[in-house]
Amino acid sequence: MTTDHRLSKFDPLSRILFFDDFDEGINGWCELLGNHDNNLDNIKPRTRDPRPAQLSTCSFFDIGTHGSVDGIYALKLATRPRVNHMAQLIKRMTYVKRGLVQMETYFTYKAETVFDSSIQTPRQWDGNYHPVESMFGEFTISNDVNDGPRGSRHHCVLRYVNTDREGNLVRKWMYKTSLQVTTRMQLQGTPVPEDWHTVNPDDWEEVPGGHFALCHNEVPTKINWHYLRWVFDTETRRNVELQVNDRIMDLRDIPVPVYDDTYHGCDRLLNFIFDVRTYMPVRNFLFLDSVLVSVDW
Amino acid sequence: MLRRSHTAVLEKNEVFTENFETEPYETGWACEAIWFVRVLEATPGTKLVAHAQVSPDGLFWCDKGDAPLSLEGEGLVHLPLRDFGGWLRLRCELKGERPSAKVLIYLFLKE
Repeated sequence: MTTDHRLSKFDPLSRILFFDDFDEGINGWCELLGNHDNNLDNIKPRTRDPRPAQLSTCSFFDIGTHGSVDGIYALKLATRPRVNHMAQLIKRMTYVKRGLVQMETYFTYKAETVFDSSIQTPRQWDGNYHPVESMFGEFTISNDVNDGPRGSRHHCVLRYVNTDREGNLVRKWMYKTSLQVTTRMQLQGTPVPEDWHTVNPDDWEEVPGGHFALCHNEVPTKINWHYLRWVFDTETRRNVELQVNDRIMDLRDIPVPVYDDTYHGCDRLLNFIFDVRTYMPVRNFLFLDSVLVSVDW
Repeated sequence: MLRRSHTAVLEKNEVFTENFETEPYETGWACEAIWFVRVLEATPGTKLVAHAQVSPDGLFWCDKGDAPLSLEGEGLVHLPLRDFGGWLRLRCELKGERPSAKVLIYLFLKE
């Protein structure tokens, strides 16, 4: 592996489940559209518009093409320029055995350049700081795991909150404390959530050691790639560890909500999900150069 | 390797009552594109005219210049394109006295 420059920047567990270099295509990352009965009008509001995957050259109006880490293309998630809009992609697998799963990626993030002076944030441009840094809301990594036809279902969910709703920098990793409201729960009367991942928008707690800035790099058209490694355990139904560059957060004691219901047709489900949400009428982007998932099976 | 292709669904059962543009979509890897516009429901007299647009940066747009899609009432129409560069979107005009159209908009891309 050390002789393969595309793989040597990763640190996989014993078996590589998949390696997605987005110079080769979208590799199965697709929209996480909500459930429906063939009538798209019946998709619940928070899940009806997660936007299609894009292969991006990471091009900008001032410098042209930035490109990805070791190629041209990155997988791009792009929100609409609409307050509280979320873009979300999923890759769907099943598992052979319960145990450790590790997802690694090189990612970067940006809010789109805006030329609309009516969109204001608390701080002004000073030559180094650019207000666009406060126009990026949050991004989230998560899974969706179901143990079997009569087994438990859970989501491990970790979110980097860049700002609050007013555009003040927060820069914290958070974990959720309530269930994702499914289509069936909504049909049974649970209100439409404001946040796709939780019952209430404030059902989040800080990850210990997770308060730090990422490398935004001043302006909307410079992108710096970050290493992220996330380990979860489908045996214990817990997160294990999150690493972002040199920072490692121990997640073993963080609780993960489990559904009371069982889920038909989801035997040994193992899904991987990325999403990005804007708090402002500005498109927010999450770019992934590549994703490698490995397991200890 | 086989030639890569991809279908993106840009609008899903959205109801429009005035002119609109689709979200920017990156197309730098593709040589061929086909827009599909399906009007599921329309008020009487509604006509949808859609122009393909291109962009150098995903921010500023101009018409590509191909003949626009045109559809009166319900139905499915398509617009094949080549030489479109790194970005595509549709600029859609709704014509009629009180126009309203529920649309599905697909973009098919191929290397």
